[in-house]
Parts: sequence; structure tokens; C-alpha cells
Amino acid sequence: MTDLEESSGPHPAAGTRALNLLRRELPDAVLADEESFGEVTIRVGRDHLVRVARLLRDHDEARYDLPLFVTAVDWPDREPDVPRFDVVYQLRSMQHNDVIRLVVQVPGDDPRVPTLEGVFAGMDWHEREAYDLIGIQFEGHHDLRRILLPDDWEGHPLRKDYASFGEPIAFTHNIEWALPAQERPPEMPGSSR
Amino acid sequence: MSVLPPIGPPGRDAASEQYDHGRELLGVAPEMDAIDLVQLDDQTMELNMGPQHPSTHGVLRLVLDLDGEVVRGCRPDIGFLHTGFEKDFERHNYQQCIPYTDRMDYLSPLSNNLGFSLAAERLLGVEVPPRGQYLRVIMCELARIASHLIWYGTSALDLGATTPFVYAWREREKILDINELVSGVRMHTSFIRVGGLMADVPAEFYGMVEEVVKTFPHRIDEYETLITGNPIFRERTQGLGVLSPEDAINYGVTGPTLRGSGVPYDLRKAQPYSSYDQFDFDVPIGRRGDIYDRYLVRMREMRESLRIIDQAMAGLPEGPVNSTDRKVALPPRNEINTSMESLIRHFKLVTEGFRVPTGTVYQAVESPRGELGFLLVSDGSNRPYRCKVRAPSFSNLSALPHMAKGELLPDLVAVIGSIDIVLGDVDR
Amino acid sequence: MGLNGDLALTPSAVLGQRESLATSLGDAGALPLPRVGERERAALQSGILTTTVEKLVNWGRYSSLWPALYGLACCAIEMMGTGAARFDMARFGCEVFRASPRQADVMIVSGRVSQKMAPVLRQIYDQMPEPKWVISMGACASSGGMFNNYAIIQGVDKVVPVDVFLPGCPPRPEALLDAVVKLQQKIAGSHLTSWRG
Repeated sequence: MTDLEESSGPHPAAGTRALNLLRRELPDAVLADEESFGEVTIRVGRDHLVRVARLLRDHDEARYDLPLFVTAVDWPDREPDVPRFDVVYQLRSMQHNDVIRLVVQVPGDDPRVPTLEGVFAGMDWHEREAYDLIGIQFEGHHDLRRILLPDDWEGHPLRKDYASFGEPIAFTHNIEWALPAQERPPEMPGSSR
Repeated sequence: MSVLPPIGPPGRDAASEQYDHGRELLGVAPEMDAIDLVQLDDQTMELNMGPQHPSTHGVLRLVLDLDGEVVRGCRPDIGFLHTGFEKDFERHNYQQCIPYTDRMDYLSPLSNNLGFSLAAERLLGVEVPPRGQYLRVIMCELARIASHLIWYGTSALDLGATTPFVYAWREREKILDINELVSGVRMHTSFIRVGGLMADVPAEFYGMVEEVVKTFPHRIDEYETLITGNPIFRERTQGLGVLSPEDAINYGVTGPTLRGSGVPYDLRKAQPYSSYDQFDFDVPIGRRGDIYDRYLVRMREMRESLRIIDQAMAGLPEGPVNSTDRKVALPPRNEINTSMESLIRHFKLVTEGFRVPTGTVYQAVESPRGELGFLLVSDGSNRPYRCKVRAPSFSNLSALPHMAKGELLPDLVAVIGSIDIVLGDVDR
Repeated sequence: MGLNGDLALTPSAVLGQRESLATSLGDAGALPLPRVGERERAALQSGILTTTVEKLVNWGRYSSLWPALYGLACCAIEMMGTGAARFDMARFGCEVFRASPRQADVMIVSGRVSQKMAPVLRQIYDQMPEPKWVISMGACASSGGMFNNYAIIQGVDKVVPVDVFLPGCPPRPEALLDAVVKLQQKIAGSHLTSWRG
């Protein structure tokens, strides 16, 4: 299936088929590619995303028709050299028994990506979740609203600048944390919502 | 608001056709009717099937647009069990994440353990010895049977059959006893960890698993006797909740729900992990994609799991269960007393955890619900930088509005039961 | 010991029992559940029992505590296991799980309560008619459990008043039965006139 050598782990190298196809058919869409731990990751430009997805879904050699998920990884320290968010798509081809990972990099002040809802119906909910938890705006989505958190929630929890802390736990060495909110020391980590 | 299909023109429609069918069955001649069913208006009633409901299998809220008893549209509202697992993964080291994975898909906790451990092991380059792999397979297949038993009990209960519930729990208690024997905990065992298992199994394990393998096939026969041939069950499940294979793939549906629609894809066969390729088992496929086919697929999967357990027990190799790779394994106890380096190593592994090389990996396992995937992004530290959990129930549930259109309200309950969702998985 | 035929549930007898059993039980203020012993059997021959209205009502209330279906997460599975054949909560009076809160006595909050679920929890609690009790089952319901983060309410007692806290993750079915028994003891010792006040 591939012409790369087996890497350690239970899976052989995955996604080479997609990379070869894209290099042939849409070479300007592939910004970069990387192969590690037996998997290929293809970095795609924001504007080519829908065409790439459609090609991967429909072309007989690829048939990546099962949408697994879309999510994003937040790298705030990369800015301003490299865009902050890595929007990650994972597609599976059952016919050829393969998976491929596509990455679109978007900056923190403009986290927009075209929606893949028209290509895969399953991306609808996954995109809503990525919007909900990380704040990626999917353009063209028919109903982009929060799915897991309450509708009036502020903030996107999975961003690295969102402190997640429910309640301070008081031990003997920090007994002042058990005090009522007005009397607590100001430099306590995290804030309960 | 999601887009609903337009209501049919006033006049004859699907509800009227059902009425005609009823009249045929009763032998009532058309001209004898006093009521002629015509559509009076095109408004639907919005009914809230709230988060607290006996048939939603957890805290799922469905907003239904009803036209009489017919469901015209179904809008799921999820997030009532959102726990923030993915944020918690970023705050704990890898071994500390394992108990968190237990609680996501809480009906088969060991599959989650296994997925996360395999992902971390791929990044680390650590290989689990054969005995550990076989024991992982045995425990995961037992968890699969336990999960299918709960599905069987609760979805039969939704349709009104109360006996299967009690029978299913009788069998599940035996599997929970095995869990308790090997790990001390009935449900959230955290038995499968990065690098291997919690510990080797005690001597009573073999006898208990033998008993399960010997007695369960007869029990499953009992379950099948109860409802598989039952005309009421068949009437309520055949031809309903049909999901075509193209739609299933388009929505990202995996697992028995996908296989019930006829798509022969099982990760244990297609991308074998943890020595699944050494076992001989079949993967049941449905034909029509209705509730009945999904039911048959899961019942058959229970039998196939017993086959796998049987083969694994017969071929269980001797040896260690945990990897001896110094990166993840705790040093042997006797060395701690003599070697300062081992003592420091032990201390660091327990308090800080091991460091995982930088990289991204996607590892998927076949949980009882479908493809459970972990996208593990590591930045070289002792904590995951980002761990995205691809939950099978999330995608399976997104196909529910499609499956529910045009069904009657009681059939919607049967459809939800047949998708076998776990809200801990959906909401994470 | 009073008139012939008196049941041992007369206040003086109970007071004597309470003094002797309080040290062994260690329960603060909860009366032991009335037991039918030799004296009671003899009294029953006459066919006349005397007791107080309070004890009778309490006995009726704790002997048939119908739980409201409020299974949220993993603890719900253990709750279902407690209702199933091996552990059988019905022996303790929890005969049926009522789906409608209007017909339920006790709400067993089993599982983690997220921020989105909290208003629903309060609404279901408000819909239950009095007298009602709450058992907070599991670590997540009692205190937020292992999830000390943005999404989970750190203990349902921030939302509803709780009578019995039950630790465990998840608690064993026997532990849940113990919680039900403790709630029964609490109800046996409660007063009609000062309920919730």
C-alpha cells in the first residue's frame, strides 16, 4: 500500500495515498507535508480546503469518505511567525483502509476556515464543537452555535489562555483558600466561575 | 434553527397512508369511514424530550417537531454532561490521564484506557509484551460484552420488555466480578495503562473467565429466545430507523450502527492493534440498516467476543505484562533498595511522570460503539499538549435527526436505543 | 412498662433504647429503626398497637421511598445495578424508579452535574412534592469528584439541599443501599412539625 518503510507501532504508514494524489492533481494546495510515527500530515491552504476535501472524498484512488473529526490545537507561543491555531481534519478511507490528516493554520485574530458541511454531513456537529471549545469560525456553516456548553457561555475553554479551575482546594498550607471569596488572597491561581 | 423539511401539501400524506393500512387490516371498507383524514393545517407541535427522561439513555435533550405522532424533525441538544475531559488531559501527566479516560465512555471503560495507552505508546516507541497484549484483548472483549449487555437490557426496556433488563444485569455482574478481581474496582478499573497493565492477573482469573466463556453462549441463547423471534419486537423494530450505508458514511457513523447498514468495516480487522490479528473471529454485517439488523449485529458480536476470549485464554503466553522499557516502567522493587539511580527513577516516574517525545499521533480502537480515536499532540513534556477524543457516539448521534424523520414517536425511542449512545462519550 | 399490650415504641421505652444504642451506632440524633422483638410479638397478640402519629408517618415514608430517575453518568449504571436482581433496591422500599418527579420521594443524584445541567437539576427538585429528600451519590455529585474544572458543579449541594452524601467513584451497590438505609434512619428520627424548618 505504501512505499515508505514500516515504523514502530501497530500501524503502517498512513495517508501516503492522499499525498500522492494531491501532489498530482492539486499541487498548489499542498503547502507542506510531514511524515512521523507512521502517519502523514498534509498542511493545506485555507482557500483550497474545500476542493481538497472534495477530491479526497470522490476520487477513486482516495475515497476518504468517512469524516472522523475536526478540531484545533492552540499554539499561542508561535505567533506572530506561525499562525496560532492548527485546525486538524482527519478523514478515513474504508475502501483503501487509510487515514489522512489535514492541517489548516489560521491566525489567532482571524480564525476563519471554510466549512466542510457541504462535503461531509458529519462535519456539522464537529465544526460546532470546534467553534464552541476553541473558537474557530467556520464560514458558510448554516447554524454555527455552541453545542456542548450553555448558549450564554463566554470564552472558549480549550484555548491555552483559559484557566480551568473549579474550586480551590484548601490544605493546611493554604488554608486561606477556604475563606469566603472576599477574604481570599488576590494571587490565588485560577478563578472559579 | 436547523432546516426542517417542508410539510406535505394539504390532503393525503404519510399519516393518512398509515391510516389506510390500518383500515385494510381491520377490513373496513372505505365508504364506511366516518372520518376522512385530511390535513387541516401545517403547524407542528414542538415537544421537549427533556434531559431527564427514562428513554434517552442519559442526559440527552431532543426537541421534536411533531405532527400528531409523527416526528417531522428532531433537534438534539447535547452538552448536559460536558465534563471538560480534554482540558483535564492537558493538566495531568499521562498516567494520571488514564482514570479520566475511564469515565468518558463509562459503559466500556477499558476501551478508552486502551486507546489512550496505545496512542501514548506509539509516541514513546514502547512495545507491550505479548502476555500484556493478550490480557488487554481479553479485558476489552469482556468490556464489550458488558457494554452490549447494558445496551440489550436498556433498549429492550425502552420497548416495554422488562425481563431482559434483569437477565442482562445478572450476566454483567459476573464480568464486574472479574473486573473487581483483577483491579479492585467494579467499573472504572484503569487496568490498562501506558506501558502495559496495572498488574498481572491472579490465579482465580482463569477459572472465572472459563466460566464466563462456558456459560454465556447459553445465556445469549436465552436472550434471543426472549425477544429475537418475538412478533411484538419484530413489529417494533423491522423496517424502522433505516440508515442507508451512504448516509451512514456521510455522517461519520461507525461501529455496529454502521455495520448494521451493511458496511463491513471493523477496526479490529482493518487496522489490528494489540495482537487482534492473531485471533480468528467474524464481523457480523446487517442488510437493511434498520433497528432489527443493528440488534442482530450486536447479539452476534457478543458471541464473537466470546470466541476471541476463548482463543486468547487458550493461547495466553507467559512472561511479563508490562514493558520493561526504562522510560515508562517502574524499576523492580528490589533494585530500589540497592541502587540510588533506581530510587530516583522511581520517584521521578511516580511524581512527575515520563516525558513523551514531540509529535502527533492518531490512534483508533474499536469500542463497542464504534471508532474511538485519540489525537494525541505532545510537546515533549510530561503532559499531553492536546488530546482530542474522537467519540463514536457523537457522530452516531448526529445521524439521529436523519433516521428519525417520519418515524412515530415511540419508534424514535427504539431508534435511540439502537444507536447505543453514551452521553459521557457524546459530551466528554 | 405502662399498660398491658403497650408496644415497645412508647417514648419511655425508646428513650431507654436510644441511650444504650446511641454509643454503639454513633449516629448523631438518628433513631434506630424500630424492630419487632419479643415484647412486641406478645403485644401483637392482643391486636392493639399504640404509637405516635409521627412514628407512623415516618415509618410509612421511609419504607417506600420511590426514587426519581436521575441517573446522569457512571453512577447511574451502578444505580441500575442496585435496582437489578443481585442487590435489589426494592427490598428496601425503592420499588420503582418514577420517571416523573411528581411521583417521587427521593432524588438520587447519580453522576456529575455540568453547568448546563444545574438548572435542570433544580427544576426537577422543585417539581418533586414534599416531603422529599436528596441522596448525592458518588464523588462527583458530592463535591465535583475528580473534575475540578470549568464544566462541573463542585457538589450538588450548591444547587439542592442534600440529605445523604455517598462517596465513591462509583460507589458500590452495597454502599448505595447503605445510603438508603441511613436516609431511612434519618427519616425515622425526623419530626413532623419541624420538617425543613
